[in-house]
Amino acid sequence: MQRLDGYAGKILRINLTDSSTEELSTWDYLPDYIGGRGICNKIFWDEVPKGVGAFDPENKLIFMTGPTTATGIPTGGRAVMTGISPCTLPEQYSYGSIGGWIGTVLKYAGYDGFILEGKAPAPVYLLIEDDKVQFLDASPIWGQVVSVTQESIRLAHGADIHSMVIGPAGEHLHRNASITTSNDNTFARAGFGAVFGSKNLKAMAFRGSGKIKAADMEKVFELRKTVGRPERQPNPPVMRESMGHVSNSFPHQWKNGSYACSPGCNSRCQRLLMDSKSPFTGGKVSQTEKCVSVLAFNYTYEHPWGASLFVLDEKNPRTLGQQKSFPHGPDKTDPDWEICSEVYKGDRMDLWGPDFDRGALMMELANEYGIDKWEMIIHYFTWLAMAKKEGLLTDLDFGMEVDVENPAFVRHFIDSMTYRTGIGDIFAEGMARAIRTLGKEKYGDTIYQGRVNQDGVRLDIPVSLEAAWGYSAHWQGRGFQSTPKWLWVANALNTMVNTRDCFNSGHMHVTPDDVRQFLADGPSYSDLLIQRVMENEGASMIKDSVTTCEWQSPDIVWHDMELQMYQAATGDDSMTKEKLDEFAVRSRLLYRAILMRNFGRCRDLEAENVYPFLTYPDPWGEVDTWDEWNDTVDRYYKANHWDPATGWPYRETWERYGLKDVADEMEKLGMLPSPGQAYQRKPDPSVRQEV
Amino acid sequence: MAKHIEKAPLEYSMCTGCVSCEMVCSMVHEGYVSPQTKRLFFKAGPVKTMLHEIYTCQQCDDHPCYEACPKKDEAMCIDENGIVYVNEKNCIGCGKCAKACKFTPSRIHVVKSKDKEERKAKKCDLCRTRPEGPACVQWCPFMCLAVSDRLPWEERQETDQS
Ligand code: SF4
Ligand code: SF4
Ligand code: SF4
Repeated sequence: MQRLDGYAGKILRINLTDSSTEELSTWDYLPDYIGGRGICNKIFWDEVPKGVGAFDPENKLIFMTGPTTATGIPTGGRAVMTGISPCTLPEQYSYGSIGGWIGTVLKYAGYDGFILEGKAPAPVYLLIEDDKVQFLDASPIWGQVVSVTQESIRLAHGADIHSMVIGPAGEHLHRNASITTSNDNTFARAGFGAVFGSKNLKAMAFRGSGKIKAADMEKVFELRKTVGRPERQPNPPVMRESMGHVSNSFPHQWKNGSYACSPGCNSRCQRLLMDSKSPFTGGKVSQTEKCVSVLAFNYTYEHPWGASLFVLDEKNPRTLGQQKSFPHGPDKTDPDWEICSEVYKGDRMDLWGPDFDRGALMMELANEYGIDKWEMIIHYFTWLAMAKKEGLLTDLDFGMEVDVENPAFVRHFIDSMTYRTGIGDIFAEGMARAIRTLGKEKYGDTIYQGRVNQDGVRLDIPVSLEAAWGYSAHWQGRGFQSTPKWLWVANALNTMVNTRDCFNSGHMHVTPDDVRQFLADGPSYSDLLIQRVMENEGASMIKDSVTTCEWQSPDIVWHDMELQMYQAATGDDSMTKEKLDEFAVRSRLLYRAILMRNFGRCRDLEAENVYPFLTYPDPWGEVDTWDEWNDTVDRYYKANHWDPATGWPYRETWERYGLKDVADEMEKLGMLPSPGQAYQRKPDPSVRQEV
Repeated sequence: MAKHIEKAPLEYSMCTGCVSCEMVCSMVHEGYVSPQTKRLFFKAGPVKTMLHEIYTCQQCDDHPCYEACPKKDEAMCIDENGIVYVNEKNCIGCGKCAKACKFTPSRIHVVKSKDKEERKAKKCDLCRTRPEGPACVQWCPFMCLAVSDRLPWEERQETDQS
């Protein structure tokens, strides 16, 4: 491969078992796999065979930046990590994306990414300074919470060192453990912190002194004016009078600051609760907070949110990160403003009442122990609240009375699962596994009687808000974040072919005209909806590979933003939008190939995994029937040129994207369907046999 | 002190830690991004504060860096506006200026490199040859930086120059 600008050119392989390193050439993976998740998928496919579990030394964590990283292109600072996730149920290959300084500093050190493999014989942390890699004794920091670990590394190696670390949760293999950067960005959703723990790896610290050159500096400066949130505006911390979101808000005085997740970004999506109290020192800390956290403070309502996160048009192209405090506000002269601005009202849930300090405690413990906040708030604590109200917890010994409104219990429960004491040992396996250990029928599927919609109608919801692959609900229309059916059907499809909550970079973006068409077709029968889901999955892959940020990418109204970024960084003028889209399909296919070969992924697994949650009513009482859902799945597979009976791509599909070797491998595995095979739909698995 | 780059107080604008300033500084001077070639220095605040510092050359009136330079007026120079700058062509990378800077950390960084040709002192020259003025001021997305004779957070009255 001819060298391109924007890349560092090398990938560092780090073997923790024998403390050895090796350098791979990034050029071997270009131009077909771009960077980020694209290259991760290719490396994993090439290197990790079937049969490896999340905590096996053979599991590899692959960290990659993209060609935009460290070039000055805003949002290019983001990076990704992939590997076998311990928290997805069952364990499968998964991924996460992250801000922070690590990606940029790694490139200064001369690497586009690294591969972590093996298992250190005793706790270590890695110090990577340019091409010098040191395996250092981590025993002095093993056991420390996240901020103490980070500070110790700064003290030992200088204030300009940038680290990513795990807390006690990762050390104790909590399946929702996170990895945290020195500016509080995390790989959390995939539980990779526990994989660090399983490898005896406490932290990685980086310093680099090299240079990264973008091919077209003029274009980079232009992108700084067009991408993200380019209006210059001071960013003072603001005293807020209330905490919470729309109907969840309650009066509370607090200081709100904000910061940018990664180098070169011109936005500031990360919210800081300044001057909140540390549960460890009692001193003041600036606590990082993002969207889900508002519910830690008060969960009386299921999260209501505006359509404008998903429905964009030329006049209102603001994406997630640009919603907050956009200087000019929305353009209400837009004839489609009504459809762009609709608020999907949440249901009344009555899980816990307002309390700033208790919410801050819950989040800070998640920050410091290194646990995914999303699962903590939306899965563990909602379950504790609902199960308690349904009287399910009387036979379980939590070591103290379960009361999610009592800060002492909040701390006790989080402590117990972090350190695996008492019943906490079961919960450290992740909520989905814990429910199955306890007995899913009783502890997972019992209906919570306290959910009421805006019209006062009581609606069924199970006490465990598990949506798919062991993850709690996220934009699934019920349980958390009410959304209309077209949106939750779309999200269910995206989740179905995934292994995790797909919203790191997978928020649907559609136009008002699209929404009208979905409604005219019926959400379960809309070819346009399927097309938009596929485009969105492609956009997600491109964002995680180029790299850029989901929160700043108005893809549905600015189709070639990522292409412009890629070209400015690399100078590769032969790249076109079509080729980038082709890359996205290739990389998605490789992801599918990994899931098929290593984890037996097929239609039955996918359709049945996602379906149960769709049978509970959304706020308008809408559900999916087994036939509706399967009709949608049929449509989706066919549109992808996959066999509807198995969900497996045909040879022709693999080969069209340059994956003949994968097709050959699939043939050997007996996973290469021929077009036109007969398919008998299975009966609805949720219909219970009468006893 | 002659005019120099200053960082806004928190009340006016909180530095977001984006280091765009460092990046564009290197970009306009060198055409690439590198921690070695920025001329202002971002220091991340202690963990759990997110309150960061920016260090830049103060353009001192007595400029000990200039005095310490063995190639004074050829390498370390002062222009007609009193801006202390490095003429890299003649800089031998000895690092005496960086040591002489009266601030800690030093506001001059000498590039560390195996390539002797790359060992040059880098310091803020207020983007003196750039028609648009200081790049860091122009590109800080949150207006955290300004030239000291024009600080938006001070709302100065223009007074008579005497
Ligand atoms: S560009 Fe502005 S906000 Fe970003 S690090 Fe520099 S001073 Fe801070
Ligand atoms: S480099 Fe240091 S000593 Fe020289 S003018 Fe700047 S601040 Fe003063
Ligand atoms: S004024 Fe110019 S040289 Fe000085 S720090 Fe800012 S960008 Fe760099």
